Amino acid sequence: MMTATVSRWARVRDSFLWYSFKRDKVAIISFIVLLAMVLSAIFAPLLAPTDPYDLAQIDIMNSELPPLGMSGADEAFPLGTDAQGRDMLSTILYGTQVSLMIGFGAVILQAVLGILFGLLAGYMGGRVDAILMRIADVQLSFSTLMVAIIVGAVFKASFGSLMFGEIAIYMLILIIGLAEWPQIARTVRASVLAEKKKEYVDAAKVMGFRTNRIMFRHILPNTLSPIFVIGTVQIANAIISEAALSFLGLGMPETQPSLGSLIKSGFDYIQSGSWWITLLPGLVLVVLVLVINLLGDWLRDVMNPRLYKG
Amino acid sequence: MSASPLVDIRGLEKKFDLSGSLLEQVSFKNGRFQRKQEAVHAINGVNLQVFKGEALCVVGESGCGKSTVARTIMGLLSPTAGEVHYEGKRIDTLEGKALLPYRRKMQMIFQNPYASLNPRMTIQQTLEEPIHFHHPEWSKADVLNKVQEVMQSVGIDPDWGSRFGHEFSGGQRQRIAIARALAVDPEFIVADEPISALDVSIQAQVLNLMMDAQESRNLTYLFITHDLAVVEHFGTRVAVMYLGRVCELAPTKALFATPRHPYTQALLSAIPRLEDGRPNYIRLQGEVPTPVNLPPGCVFHGRCPYANDRCRQEIPELFATGDGGQVACHGVEEGRL
Amino acid sequence: MALLEVKNLDVRFAVRGGDLTALRGISFSLDKGERLGLVGESGAGKSVAAFSILNLIAQPGYIAGGQILFEGKDLAAMSERELRKIRGNRIAMIFQDPMMTLNPVLTIGTQMVEAIKAHRRISTKDARAIAIDKLRKVQIPSPEKRLDQYPHELSGGMRQRVIIAIALLLDPEIIIADEPTTALDVTIQAEIMALLLDLCEQENVALMLITHDLGVVSQVSQRMLVMYSGRIIEQGPTREIINDAQHPYTQGLINALPQMGEPGARLFQIPGAMPSLKNVPSGCPFNPRCSFATDECRSSMPEYVRAGNVDVACYEVERLMAQEQQAREVAP
Repeated sequence: MMTATVSRWARVRDSFLWYSFKRDKVAIISFIVLLAMVLSAIFAPLLAPTDPYDLAQIDIMNSELPPLGMSGADEAFPLGTDAQGRDMLSTILYGTQVSLMIGFGAVILQAVLGILFGLLAGYMGGRVDAILMRIADVQLSFSTLMVAIIVGAVFKASFGSLMFGEIAIYMLILIIGLAEWPQIARTVRASVLAEKKKEYVDAAKVMGFRTNRIMFRHILPNTLSPIFVIGTVQIANAIISEAALSFLGLGMPETQPSLGSLIKSGFDYIQSGSWWITLLPGLVLVVLVLVINLLGDWLRDVMNPRLYKG
Repeated sequence: MSASPLVDIRGLEKKFDLSGSLLEQVSFKNGRFQRKQEAVHAINGVNLQVFKGEALCVVGESGCGKSTVARTIMGLLSPTAGEVHYEGKRIDTLEGKALLPYRRKMQMIFQNPYASLNPRMTIQQTLEEPIHFHHPEWSKADVLNKVQEVMQSVGIDPDWGSRFGHEFSGGQRQRIAIARALAVDPEFIVADEPISALDVSIQAQVLNLMMDAQESRNLTYLFITHDLAVVEHFGTRVAVMYLGRVCELAPTKALFATPRHPYTQALLSAIPRLEDGRPNYIRLQGEVPTPVNLPPGCVFHGRCPYANDRCRQEIPELFATGDGGQVACHGVEEGRL
Repeated sequence: MALLEVKNLDVRFAVRGGDLTALRGISFSLDKGERLGLVGESGAGKSVAAFSILNLIAQPGYIAGGQILFEGKDLAAMSERELRKIRGNRIAMIFQDPMMTLNPVLTIGTQMVEAIKAHRRISTKDARAIAIDKLRKVQIPSPEKRLDQYPHELSGGMRQRVIIAIALLLDPEIIIADEPTTALDVTIQAEIMALLLDLCEQENVALMLITHDLGVVSQVSQRMLVMYSGRIIEQGPTREIINDAQHPYTQGLINALPQMGEPGARLFQIPGAMPSLKNVPSGCPFNPRCSFATDECRSSMPEYVRAGNVDVACYEVERLMAQEQQAREVAP
C-alpha cells in the first residue's frame, strides 16, 4: 500500500492549509504586506534614513516639511517631517517596531497565562475551575482600557512621567497581556473539557501517566488550533489598545513613540495644515491592523471545517 | 482455572451524583424546604472474579453498568463502595507510585478507535511513550526494538511509525491501540467494546488478533460487549448485567445452551440470527427503568413475566445452579422457572 | 411496472484533484409492498444510494448519471419543488440516530403536525388526530400525552417509534430506513424491526432497509442486494443469498460472522479492507482481497450472471456456472 515515510515539507505542501492559502488572494496579499511591515520594523535601524531620537540629528529648521509631491518638500525627507524636524519615514518605521513589539509581547503574555489557566481550570475542574473562572469573569467585566488608564495614571502619579516613560513598553505589554488572558483561557478550557472525555486521555491515565504529563503533553497540543486564530486577532487588538492609550497620553512617551503616540503628537498640527504628521502614521496603523485581521479571518475559515474533520 | 482469582471485585457500587450544588437541590414545596438528591446508580453490588488465562465476557445493554465496571477496575473511577483486588492485593485505594506496577500489568482497550489515539502524536510516539515510562532504564535502541516488535505482532508495518492516527483506518487504529496495550507486557486486559465500532469483516480480524495475543502472551481478558454472538465465540465465561447487577454468570456453553435468568433468555432470543425468516424473540413488557430511580427488589421485576411479590421486594443474590453457573433470580431459586 | 426503478445510477463527489465516484452503475427495482435490504460495510455506498433516491446528497456530491424512476417519473431530473412534494409524502425516510432526527426544542406533536401540514391542507385539530392514530399504530402508550412531550422525555426505543410514526404520517409508498436500529440495544432492536415489519405488511408499504447487519436483513427483507465499493455485486431473494451466497465477498461476509464460527477457533477473515474512494482498484473492486482473482478480474468489471434467482457480478461464478453447464451437457 503506502511506501516510505512522508517528509515534513511534503506534508505541509500537501496540506489543506497551503492549498487554501494559495487560492485565497486576499490572504496572500495580506501576508505579503504584513511580512513587509514586520521586516521593515525589525530592520528599522538599518532602513531608516535617520535616527529620529538622536537629538544631534534633528534640526528644528526642518520642522513641518510636507511629503514629496507637495510644494516645499525636501528629498531628504520623503514623507515629510514633524513639528520637531524629525523624518516621518524614520519615525514611522520605529513606531511600527514599537507597536508590533507591544502587540506580539502582549499576546504572548496573554497566551501563556490563558493557556496555563485554561488547562488547569479545564482539567482539574471543581474548585480550581470555579476560582479561576470567577477571576476571569471579574476581569472580563473590566475593560482593558479602563484598567490600563487606572494603572497608568496611578503609576505616573506615583513615580513620575520620566520613570513611566522608561518602562512604558513593558508596562503596556503587562497591562494588555494581563487584561486579555480570560478570553484565551475560556477557549482553552472549552477545548480541554471536550478532549478530557476522549479515550486517549483515559488511555494515558490507564498507562499511569501523571496529571502534569497528561495535561501538557497530551491535551495541550490538541487545544491549540483555536488559539492561533484568536492570537492573530488579539495582536491587532493589542496594537489598537495601545494606540488608544497612547492617544490618551497614557501610552508610549514621545521619546519612544508607537504609531499611536505618533498620531497623538501630530494631532494638534492638523489645524495648522500639517496633516501628514498625524495622517501618515494613522494610515500605517490602519493598514497594519487590517492585514492582521484579514489573515485572522482567513485562518479561522481554514481551520474551522478541519476542526470537525479531525 | 486456578483457585485464587487474578482480579476480584467484591460488593462493588458506584453512584454518580446528579444533584448539583446545594442551591439546586433545595426547593420550597408544600410549605417546607425539601432537598432533592439524585444519583445514577450505575453499579449496585457486583461480585466478579476473573481467573488467570480466561476470557470473561460482561454483556448487557446500555445502562447496565458494564462500562462503569470496566472503568472502576482500571482505576479511572473510584468505587462508592466495595473493593477491587488484583492478585490478592487491594488496588482501588492505591495511588501514584504504589499503583504504578499495576498500571503496567493491567491495560485497557477502548471502544472508539477514532478517539483512543492522540491526534497530535505519531504512532511511534504513542507506542514509545508507555514503554519508556515503565522502563526508564531501557536504552533508546531497546525501546525502538520493542515498538517494532509489537507493531509487527498486530500487523502494522513499522515503517508507518511517523504517521498520525487519522491516516489509518478504524481497524488499523484499533490494532495500534492493542499494540499500545501490549507494549508494556501486561497480564490482564480490559477490552471495552473493542470491535463495536468496526465493520463486520474487520471485527473478525481484530478478534482473531486478540485471540492470538491471548495465546502467545498468556493474557487474561475482561471483555465488555453487547454483541452476544461475539461472546459465544470468544468468551470462556459470561456475566450478564442488568441495571448495575449481575443476573447470571456461567460458562459460555452452558449459558447459551440453557440460559436460566429470564433476562438472559430474552436477550439471547433477540439476537437476529441468519436462520430466522422473521424476528422471533421473547417480548419484554414495559420500558427499561432509568438507573436514576432504581426499582425496589429485583431490578428486573418490572419487565419480567414471572415476577412475584418476593421479586418486587427482595433483591436476589447470585447462587450456584450446580452446572458451574450462578443466577440471581428468585424464580430459579424457588424452582418456578 | 415496478414502484421504484433505479437504472445505472452514478453518484460522484467533486473534490480537489478530480471527481470521486461513490456509486457506479447502480440498478435495482422495488415493487409495491416489497421489502428490500441493502447490505454493505461502511464505505460501500449504501447510505449514498439511499440519500440519492430523494436527491438528498450534500455538496460536493451529485448525481452524475442514470435514472431514478418513481412511478415512471425520473426523480433525478426533477426540480427541488417537485421533489419536496414527494419527500416525506410519497417516499419517507428514517435515519439512524433518533436523537438527531427529532428537534430537541419542539414537542413531538409540533413536529408531527408540521410534517402533515407541509403536504396537506387540513386543520391542526385534524392533523393531531392523524398523529395520534399513527402513534397508536407504532404501539406507543397514551399517544395523546406524547404529543405534548419533548424528545428527551422519551426513551431511545420510543423515540425511534415516533420516527417511524412520522414516516407513516402521510401514508407513503416507500419507507427508506437507513440503519434504523444500529444505535439501539439488541432487545429494542428486535422490537423495532418486528414493528417495522408488521407495519409494512399491514399497510403494504415498500421498505428499503439499509444495514450492515446480515441477521436483521435475513429476518426482515424479501430481497437483498450486497454493495461493495460503490457497486452492487450480488442481488436476489434474501433466503437464497443467505443460504448459498455466490460472490466471494458475500461468502466472506457471512463466514466472518461470529455466529458462523466455531467457538474458540479463529474466525474466517477477509484479508485487507474496503478501498477508499480515492484508491478504487481497476476491474472488480474486490480483486485485491479475493482468493479467486485472475487477470480478467483485475482488468474489467464483471457483468451480472444469473445463478438461480440471484444476479452476481463475478467472473469466478461465471466460470463455475460454465463448468456446470458443460458437465451437464456431457452427462446423460
